[in-house]
Amino acid sequence: MRTTLRTIKLLLVLVCATSLSGSAQEAGESDAAKAVRVLEGDRVKAQSRNDNHVLDLMFDNALVYIESGKLVTKGDYLLRVKSPKPQTPQIVPEAMTVRTLENTAIVVGTYRETDVKDGKSSSKRWRFVDTWVKKKGIWMLVAAAAVPLSK
Amino acid sequence: MRTHIFVALLACVGTLAGPVPGDADSDAETKILAMQHMWGQAYVSKDPKALERILDDAFVNVDSDGILQTKAEVVAEVNTSSAVQFLTESMVVHLHGNAAIVTGVFEIKGVDRGKPYAQRERFVDTWLYKNGQWVSIAGLVTRVGQ
Repeated sequence: MRTTLRTIKLLLVLVCATSLSGSAQEAGESDAAKAVRVLEGDRVKAQSRNDNHVLDLMFDNALVYIESGKLVTKGDYLLRVKSPKPQTPQIVPEAMTVRTLENTAIVVGTYRETDVKDGKSSSKRWRFVDTWVKKKGIWMLVAAAAVPLSK
Repeated sequence: MRTHIFVALLACVGTLAGPVPGDADSDAETKILAMQHMWGQAYVSKDPKALERILDDAFVNVDSDGILQTKAEVVAEVNTSSAVQFLTESMVVHLHGNAAIVTGVFEIKGVDRGKPYAQRERFVDTWLYKNGQWVSIAGLVTRVGQ
C-alpha cells in the first residue's frame, strides 16, 4: 500500500514536471521544452541518489541507452543503479539545448563526470543526445547516448 | 545516371511512406531501415542529395569525437568521403508513434591518403514522421567499445 502511494506521488511529480515550467529555464523555450529540461534535471538528481524507482517511471520500457560504445537496456541500466559501485561518479550537467518537434524532444548537451579511483580523482567531459517522446501526456525517455569529448 | 536512379528511389521511399496511424509497424520499420541503408551508401557514392532528403533541416549529429554537427556539415562530409564500403549490422527499430529510434553498428572501410582503414561504430538515430515522410532529426555515433 505504501509502495502504491509512493508510486502515485512520484507519478504526480512527473506529470507536474511535464506540464509546469521548472526553475532552470531558457528564455524563448516552448513549455514542452521547459518541461523536458526539468525532467533532465530530475533525472540527474535521481541518478545521483541511485533512485531507480524515479528512473523507472521516466524511462520508456523500450529505452535504448548507449554508453561507451555499448548498448544497454532499461533493465540493465536500472539493475546497475540498484547495485551501485562503492563510489558513484559525480555528474555535473553543463550546457543543454532542448528542441521539440511535435511529440518528440531532442536534448543535446554536455556534462562533466568526476570519478575517484584508488584515491585519485579524474574527470571526463561527455556530449550527449537524449530523445524524449510524449506518451499519454507524459514525456518518456526513449533513447540516451553519450560520447566522451576528445578535447 | 546511377545518381538519378538513386535520387528517384529515395523520392519513392520518402513519398510512399504512408501516415503512421493505420500503417503497419513493420511497413514503417522497413522504410526506415531502407533509408538507413541509403544513408550509409551516400558516403560510398558521395551523394549529398540523398542525405539532403533523409535529414531534417534541423538535424543534429554528435560524431565519435563528441563534435556537434549540423545537417550542412554532415552533408558536406559526404562530398569528401573516402569510404569504399559501408556495411550495417544489428539494426533495430523501436517505434514510438510518429517517432522512431534506430540502433545499430556500421563498419566503414576506405582509403585515406593512401592508407586503408576500417572503423566500427555504434549509432543511435532518431526519426520523425513529418509532412508525410520519415526524416532523421538527430544522431549520435560512438566507437564500439569506446
